[in-house]
Amino acid sequence: MTTVTNTSGPASRRAGGLRRNIIGWLFLAPAVGLIGLFTITPFLQAIELSFQNWDGVSPDTPWVGLDNYRFVFAYDAFWASMRNVAFFAIIGFFAGNGIALAMAVAVHRITRGRTFFRTVFYLPGVLSVVVVGLLFSSMLAPQSGLINNLLGSLGLESLQQNWLGDPDIALPAVAAVFVWFHWGFGFLLFLAGLQDIPAEPYEAADLDGAGAWVKFRYITWPHLAPVTTIVSLLTLLAAMQIFGTVQVLTNGGPGYHTMVPTLLIYGEAFTNHRYGSAAAMSVLFGGALVLLSLLQLGISQRRSRA
Amino acid sequence: MTTITDPGSPPRRRIRPDQVGVYGLLTVAALIALFPLLWMLSGSLQTLDELLSQDSLLPASPQWGNYVTAWVEGELGMYLLNSVVYTGTAVLGILAVSSLAGYALARLDFAGKGIFQFVILAVMIIPAPAMFLAQYRLLIDLGLTNSRLGYILVLITSGIPMATLIMRSFFANQPRDLEEAAALDGASPLRIFLSVILPLARPGMAAVAVIQGLAAWNEYLMALVLFDDNDLMPVQRGLTSFISADTPQQQILLAATALSILPVVAFYLLAQKQVVKGISAGAIK
Repeated sequence: MTTVTNTSGPASRRAGGLRRNIIGWLFLAPAVGLIGLFTITPFLQAIELSFQNWDGVSPDTPWVGLDNYRFVFAYDAFWASMRNVAFFAIIGFFAGNGIALAMAVAVHRITRGRTFFRTVFYLPGVLSVVVVGLLFSSMLAPQSGLINNLLGSLGLESLQQNWLGDPDIALPAVAAVFVWFHWGFGFLLFLAGLQDIPAEPYEAADLDGAGAWVKFRYITWPHLAPVTTIVSLLTLLAAMQIFGTVQVLTNGGPGYHTMVPTLLIYGEAFTNHRYGSAAAMSVLFGGALVLLSLLQLGISQRRSRA
Repeated sequence: MTTITDPGSPPRRRIRPDQVGVYGLLTVAALIALFPLLWMLSGSLQTLDELLSQDSLLPASPQWGNYVTAWVEGELGMYLLNSVVYTGTAVLGILAVSSLAGYALARLDFAGKGIFQFVILAVMIIPAPAMFLAQYRLLIDLGLTNSRLGYILVLITSGIPMATLIMRSFFANQPRDLEEAAALDGASPLRIFLSVILPLARPGMAAVAVIQGLAAWNEYLMALVLFDDNDLMPVQRGLTSFISADTPQQQILLAATALSILPVVAFYLLAQKQVVKGISAGAIK
């Protein structure tokens, strides 16, 4: 007879035998099948494809060795796109997470209207990348856009910009859109983290006459450390994988000034029909993202053990 | 584990004077968060001349006809229906697969369980940009490009790892008494799963359904890669197809955008407590 009770010891594992293993893997079978077919297979094929040439149609995919990687390493647009997402990641990390934390602390302090502010602050987060791109591309349009018109009617013509067309302005403008879109996510997690901090340390600090900053620095901030780690990682990954918003806002332009790796990979494959070099870029970029995740995971593991 | 308590409930207190500054700050942030959406609503009700001249932030007389034009020319009925089908099917599929796998990880004991857990974590780290090309190529080989089934399978697969981890931690925190009683009665693991476990798993499944539903509704990259045929496109893809093919006037595009987000915004406002819980559960597994 099979039991599902307390079966973690080595003795019961031996006793359960074949039947127990079969049942366990039957429960996993749908997940294993789908992940194996649609995630692991393409992941391995992407690596294989990066050593081949393919035009997207032909059944032939000739082996070209390291040619695709040589091409990518010499491809300015690829490095430009990596620099751009690094910029988005830095802005998202400091500005986005800074706003998220400040607003979470503020909402946590107030006595009425918490649900209202929480609902409003996360509202942009339920929109799609396409919708966010559409809204801001019409607001930031140089002639008819709302932002320039508002600046004009306030007498601030000197601040009017070709927000998405000026090479110097476009990248910060897209980064600002990303922050608007994404900070609510960190806010929700920080707020949940704040609500989990026990009241006692604050009460003790109050008795000692500690100020607001001291309480934040020595009670709130250390308690939030695990949440901060998660929010940081997810913000960095989201910033680096930005795609749809950029496609709709600028399509990577002007020139390559707002190009991002995912959009470049997409264009290299589906517009230029060079799937091999697109695959090489996705291996290099994907590898960078994996390293980032592992680094952050390692840091948070060490912290949770300490 | 982090939980979000409902902060709107009692005790009701008055706003203290020292909080005025905090409320001021929060109000400014709320206006910035809402402004693009309010402006979208206003712009979607203006005439093109009004919108281009920007003399006023509000429409002189609301042009409700813009919404009719957007609905018809943008074929939004078709796109929204497609999105509902994809999102609904993907969520059901994810729930089925991940509750089975999550239960096995939390409760069953078998060889190789650790390997599967490791694979799940590893797969979660592989980012979409590293795979979408190869997924596209694989789906060509399977004859599943430009196909509802192909898109749904991709949506389900991408949701499984996180959903499985959420369901695993949900099952791990459940009491074992009922399962043990059923096992003593001689019920098989599948029987126990279907008639004892699943009926009690609703809170965990709700969290999974909410985050995976939002993710599926807003998915764009694979929809862009897989669909050429407008009849099959979900609404995010349909919108970009509408812009590039018909170059709609600005106010019509804004009305179409407003219509496209109506379901997800309504869902969020109705179920915001669930959404907040689901987001936290997804991030902090």
